[in-house]
Amino acid sequence: MATIQVTRGELSLAEKLYIPEVMRGVAITTRQLVKNVFGRKDIATRQYPDVKKPYPERFRGRHRLTWRDDGSVRCVACMLCSTACPANCIHIVAGDKGDNTVEKYPVSFEIDLLVCVYCGFCEEACPCDAIRMDSGKHPMPSFSRDKQRIRKVQLLEEGQPSTSHPGGLGN
Amino acid sequence: MPTLKIDGQEITVDRGTTILQAAAQLGVQIPTFCYHPGLSIAANCRMCLVDTNKAPKPLPACHAQVMDGMEVWTNNEKVQRTRKAVLEFILLNHPVDCPICDQAGECVLQDHYFKYSAQPSRLFHRKRHKAKAKILGPNVILDAERCILCTRCVRFCDEVAKSSQLTVVNRGEKSEITTFPGKQLDNPYAANTVDICPVGALTSRDFRFRTRVWMLSTERGVCPECSRGCSIRVDTFENTVRRYKPVHNPKVNDWWMCDAGRASFRGYLEDRVEGPTIVADGKRRAVATAKAVEDAAKAIQAAGGHGKVALVASPWLTNEDAYVLGRLVTGALAGVKVYMGGRAAGAGDDILIQPDKNPNRKGVDAIFAALGVKAADLSSFDAKGIETVFVFGDNHDASPATLEALAAVPWRIVAGTKMGPWWQLATTFLPLRLHWEKDGTYTNFDGVVQRIRRAVKAAPTCKSEGWYAMKLAQSFGDALAFDAPADIFAAVAGSVPEFAGLAWSDLGDHGLRFGEGSVPAGADAASAEPQMEATT
Amino acid sequence: MSLGELVLWGLVKFVAIVFGWVMLVATVLTYIERKQSAYVQNRIGPNRAWIGGKRFPLSATIGQILADAAKVLFKEDTEPPRGGNPILHQISPALAFIPALLMWIVIPFGPGPMPGAEGENWFLIADVNVGLLLMFAIMSVSVYGGVIGAWASNSGFSLLGGLRVGAQMISYEVTLGLNLVGIFMIFGSMRLNDIVWGQGDLAWGIVVQPVAFILFMVASIAETKRAPFDMPEAESELVAGYFTEFSSMRFAVFSLSEFIALIAVAAVGVTCFLGGWQIPWVDTPVDAAGVPVYGWITVAQVGIFLAKMIFLIWLQMQIRWTLPRFRYDQVMKLGWVYLLPLSLLNLFVTAIVMYLAR
Repeated sequence: MATIQVTRGELSLAEKLYIPEVMRGVAITTRQLVKNVFGRKDIATRQYPDVKKPYPERFRGRHRLTWRDDGSVRCVACMLCSTACPANCIHIVAGDKGDNTVEKYPVSFEIDLLVCVYCGFCEEACPCDAIRMDSGKHPMPSFSRDKQRIRKVQLLEEGQPSTSHPGGLGN
Repeated sequence: MPTLKIDGQEITVDRGTTILQAAAQLGVQIPTFCYHPGLSIAANCRMCLVDTNKAPKPLPACHAQVMDGMEVWTNNEKVQRTRKAVLEFILLNHPVDCPICDQAGECVLQDHYFKYSAQPSRLFHRKRHKAKAKILGPNVILDAERCILCTRCVRFCDEVAKSSQLTVVNRGEKSEITTFPGKQLDNPYAANTVDICPVGALTSRDFRFRTRVWMLSTERGVCPECSRGCSIRVDTFENTVRRYKPVHNPKVNDWWMCDAGRASFRGYLEDRVEGPTIVADGKRRAVATAKAVEDAAKAIQAAGGHGKVALVASPWLTNEDAYVLGRLVTGALAGVKVYMGGRAAGAGDDILIQPDKNPNRKGVDAIFAALGVKAADLSSFDAKGIETVFVFGDNHDASPATLEALAAVPWRIVAGTKMGPWWQLATTFLPLRLHWEKDGTYTNFDGVVQRIRRAVKAAPTCKSEGWYAMKLAQSFGDALAFDAPADIFAAVAGSVPEFAGLAWSDLGDHGLRFGEGSVPAGADAASAEPQMEATT
Repeated sequence: MSLGELVLWGLVKFVAIVFGWVMLVATVLTYIERKQSAYVQNRIGPNRAWIGGKRFPLSATIGQILADAAKVLFKEDTEPPRGGNPILHQISPALAFIPALLMWIVIPFGPGPMPGAEGENWFLIADVNVGLLLMFAIMSVSVYGGVIGAWASNSGFSLLGGLRVGAQMISYEVTLGLNLVGIFMIFGSMRLNDIVWGQGDLAWGIVVQPVAFILFMVASIAETKRAPFDMPEAESELVAGYFTEFSSMRFAVFSLSEFIALIAVAAVGVTCFLGGWQIPWVDTPVDAAGVPVYGWITVAQVGIFLAKMIFLIWLQMQIRWTLPRFRYDQVMKLGWVYLLPLSLLNLFVTAIVMYLAR
């Protein structure tokens, strides 16, 4: 363990007496007080619910599912997100679509937001650009645990069409 | 006896050995697609090409036989380039839809690609499209785009299942696996084609899209559906069985299992009963396990004499449970009438399926014979003079007349696993563990003793037959106590001649046949018996 | 005046002064203090409780006070943890509150009869000739509220807080009292009214006893348990000190009694050191008997008294939000090792000077 020698200067008599130093401190705080009462120059407080700070572009907010051109869900239920998920909060039940191009689709897609740690691994893992965390919304409180389990319908409602080409342009 | 060098290591092998086998003996892995040890050699995938000093071009290792003085390089620059080219060729029209492919995770093509190629596609044309999700039969579905035409499935049908149903049609890039006109892939071993398919072309219709394979946990087990006792892998996810897969076991089933056995696990998942119940005043109510066992003991007591008690044993008992049950009916409950239930015999064939549809008849019979238990068949059940009947297991195919006779008995204790006629019959119901929820051994028709292992955690209320038999014996003052199935197996090996010399730890993955034991019978018995006394 | 009238007038004045002024200021202070601390620290402070959501002058102030009052009144009144004494727990806020209010009976708000003159003092509840001593007696009693409340809570934090209340209040009362002895000596009376009469023009206590004023300020902050001397409720160590286990209105009463003590100490400070209701170079009009004649000057005098008081309150609060908390041993050392000898020295010097200037 490193020992750090801190040298402290000797206190002068005025400093030892405290009172002048106290007066100095009071003068500083009073200056702030006066400045802020008349003019409010230095207020650092943000009036949060009224004035919101814009989130950074790469903010990871609530998940959403993107659409295909026909409006169907882009997700193919490959479970890579639920595999990558460190919190095990994504529960997908896969189903057979009966479609010859992309047979698999999620019958149910459920994310437990109370369990989610918003790490973004799911969108990293997604091969289809189906799950995204760019909704810019953060988790909202609710009165029941069940409300925090967001399902496919809600995830799709917040979604938007994706233009990515899984498998490359030649496919 | 040719002597050759593989990657600088020298080996002498039998004449006629292929390079692949010789390399395997040295521990050198050569990647393959179409080669399968249980099938004939096709050498059409070209993945196993190796460089030799005997030919200017690379040779397929699975097919080329060794020569004296041969030198083989399995990983030189030429071979690596060849493999890369072969993989690029195979992947040319492959859809690479791994995210929706059930094979992803156990796909040989995936593994080989990452290990030997790992290069992006150079194709700029549209890919060739073929049949997707084509149903070949009741159990198998084909995605022809993913197929690499290794013809393992075709060869399996021809050579193992002995029913030629699959073939390759068309030529070149239009080649495709399909069934012969008017035929379906419906032989009783059809689902094995899914196992041997190195890619996701053939997938199981039952397992389709259910679980990704990398999420599965695996434990070895034995298929209980017939007395063949195929070695299987019980794949579970979230404490539920998702599929069976056959495991290579040269003593029992080679690489295969039948479709009926493969699909059988679904039947056990339905209508499961996990809580003990007793019927009092015409009403069934849930009770604690201890209370139910106490109730069962009271019912046997109330019969007034062991001659008025009947006990139905089952060929579904593990060897260990059968032994404890045998000790119960020869010890604490000496004098009770013992019947043997079990499933009725069915059809068999000369590949794997046996007519006897019970997993452990041979073992139970041997143990009962050694302990002196005389069991009559359940069909001869006579309710006259019987006050209490104790049925172990609910895998009994009893005739309506037998069920009626059983129903006439005032106290009916049933240890079972599911809702059904036997659960309805019960005045005291004791929940049992399924074969994938307990440890033990089964003896197949051939006398091969195989381990079954706990793949799924059962509800704490579910106990094995042996546990109930032990508790009953204890409630009648017999200090019958074992800690673990291994202890019981040691006792079995010590007292049943057929099991002599078999040791729990030696069973391994392939099991041991009667008489294959390495431990001398006397020594094992001597070590087992005092241990038993110590625990009593 | 008969005894009955005396009691009646006393009660009327008590209600008028205590509820009309002291309680009002204490309530407003709960808001002002938060706002002041916020501005000192570049924050905004409470600004959510507007009356009816409308923005007009004092809307946020009154709204916040009403909201606070409604909040504390409707909150759950918790019982002390098991092993505590529920009865003592319930009465202890009152034990702290009543002495804080009673301190006010000796403080003159405005001009009374000149020393030695007979007459009615309208701005004083009880004209006691040992005024300051009575006040100190009452102030000492207020320790019991905190100590008993802490003990009845059966909580480690409370108990430590209670012990600190006891130790700190006793330590600093000594200094506080000794500093005022100099004032008694100079003005020759313990009657606060007489002391103020003695501080005409600029002969204020602060001028004749400057050291005593500084010591008095330090001791009075310690006496009101405010930072940097808020050891009894040091939230970083003791959660909330002696009232950790109190909630609802009982908690609020403890807080209020602290504010009232703060106002009372400020009033004493003004009376003894800042000339009370005296306006420099403005003579109080009196009749022949020495009883003041009330008029506009009286109103100004009462106003100046309140203004001086508010200044002292502000100063104390400003010091609170300027200085960090002492360590407990530092508090005790400062009290006994520095302040007490200094007060004695001050007293000694005062006595010598008075003897020489006799």
